[in-house]
Amino acid sequence: MSEIEETLKRIQSHKGVVGTIVVNAQGIPIRTTLDNSTTLQYTALLRQITILARGTVRDIDPQNDLTFLRMRSKKHEVMVGVDKDFLFVVVQAPSE
Amino acid sequence: MFSDETLETVEVESQWRKSRRQRLESKSSQTLELKLTEAGVQACHISDIGVQTEPAECLVDSFDPELNAQVEYPGLREFLQRVSGMVIKELKQNAKSHAFDGFEVNWVEQNQTVSFLHSLHYPEAQERGLQVTYVCWNSTGSVIASAYGRLEDGDWSTEKAYVCTWNLDRRGLNSQRPDLVIDVPSSVLCLAFHPTQPSLIAGGLYSGEVLVWDTSRSPDPVLARTGMLDLSHREPVYQVRWLPGTKRGDAFRVLSASADGKILVWQVEANGRLGVHSGYALIAQQIPRSTTVGKGRGDTPVGVTALALSFWDSDVFLVGAEGGLVLKCSFSAHTPAMLAGSDADMMLRAPAQFSFSTHSGPIHALDCSPFHRNLFLSAGTDGHAHLRSLLQGPPLLSLHVSDSYLFSVRWSPTRPLVFAVGTGQGLVQIFDLSRGSLTPTATIEQNSSGRPVYCMEFNPKQMELLAAGGADGTVKIWHLSSELTEQRPKETSHLEYLANEVPE
Repeated sequence: MSEIEETLKRIQSHKGVVGTIVVNAQGIPIRTTLDNSTTLQYTALLRQITILARGTVRDIDPQNDLTFLRMRSKKHEVMVGVDKDFLFVVVQAPSE
Repeated sequence: MFSDETLETVEVESQWRKSRRQRLESKSSQTLELKLTEAGVQACHISDIGVQTEPAECLVDSFDPELNAQVEYPGLREFLQRVSGMVIKELKQNAKSHAFDGFEVNWVEQNQTVSFLHSLHYPEAQERGLQVTYVCWNSTGSVIASAYGRLEDGDWSTEKAYVCTWNLDRRGLNSQRPDLVIDVPSSVLCLAFHPTQPSLIAGGLYSGEVLVWDTSRSPDPVLARTGMLDLSHREPVYQVRWLPGTKRGDAFRVLSASADGKILVWQVEANGRLGVHSGYALIAQQIPRSTTVGKGRGDTPVGVTALALSFWDSDVFLVGAEGGLVLKCSFSAHTPAMLAGSDADMMLRAPAQFSFSTHSGPIHALDCSPFHRNLFLSAGTDGHAHLRSLLQGPPLLSLHVSDSYLFSVRWSPTRPLVFAVGTGQGLVQIFDLSRGSLTPTATIEQNSSGRPVYCMEFNPKQMELLAAGGADGTVKIWHLSSELTEQRPKETSHLEYLANEVPE
């Protein structure tokens, strides 16, 4: 259990990281460093777009699969690490 | 030579019928025999299920991080081990990357300049020389209401005035004919649209009355009015605002502040009256002061000329008073006000908790920043706009805007560092604090005759529209450039930095 917390803490302490969320297969956030309402919003929206992205990759080549998704916006960059059972979301603010 | 003769007739037999008959044939066809059977069906088991959505708070409450920390998720450790390597590599690369430097995306068409959209006026009011004293957008951002009256009069005026509304999204917008004109018995000094119901407006009059109109009712739009109670205002009401109720389901209440020093909270009652719910009174000796301004008796009321509610803290409100005082007040103050001759049934309270450094002249406008909980602007007759923090007395920044009076100041709803100031020379100056210099970024000339601009308001939904009304009786709608409306990446942190600066 503490190994999980340690890994999450290590990632959270990186430069510019605003928050991290771990989402399980049912779409419920199980670990988060953001507040409740923001976490739920990010979870719901990112799940949808991850499913869409995965569908896109597999439609182009059925042998291929999605491993990582990055969305860059004016204010943040959202990174999603994808797996069969979990999603790992990291929000980073770009350093300028 | 010529003789009569009869010729035989020539006959041509009709071929039509024969040819038709030769082509006639008759045929008949029949579908195969249909097989029909009958069977009866009946469901013998009945089951009932009720489905109900739960209100949104339950969803948030049920997500409890502490609870989830105790549940073991198989495979979570392995997953994190697999993913974290990739994530850390990407995070490090992002922090160092210059790939996106200077890469700017524009989704919306950019406007380079401030452009003029509409000039709205009501000819009857203009003929009588009435001025626009307040403009207000409704909660959907499509209707603008303007209040007509006079700000220069010093004595009692029983001149009738108007409140006009225009719906800018209607196709047949006629800038000379308002969609709705409400006749009002006295000059209207302030207006406020209801924050959620787009048809309710509250207004404060020169005579001290507060009225609530419902623009969807005709012929008489007056929904509620204050009578001449002992407690109602006797002096001009300078600000009205809608306050959310204390509990979740409560209706909004109307807050009115007037020159007689009273700040009253009204609620709309069923019989078309506004009843006093609670009230506050500013008395000279109950104001906490760092310097004593000691003229007049201690129990004289201090008139209120400007009021602002804080977006962040529903208990705090700011009051600008005669004599240039800026006060921080609280809705939950308990000390009773020592009002001379006060009646026993409604206890007025003294709300002032802290007084900031004074302006040298009455304050006409206060506005709290929608982006930072401690910052607010104040502007008065001394021509300076002060950027102040709730935490300290002296202002953080003092901008000399104009040599004449300043009547209105508003923060931009989209850019944390931009605000607009309306001057007595007829100009609207827009300042951008992200630039180093303290000169205005944009100056809008409201009218060429130099008559003062009394009021301004940004549109809450279409945030690049700014409405400004002035002494010439017209309301002009300006479309601001994208530079003034689009947020830049580092603005909130710059604002934070400004707020934490302590002046020398």
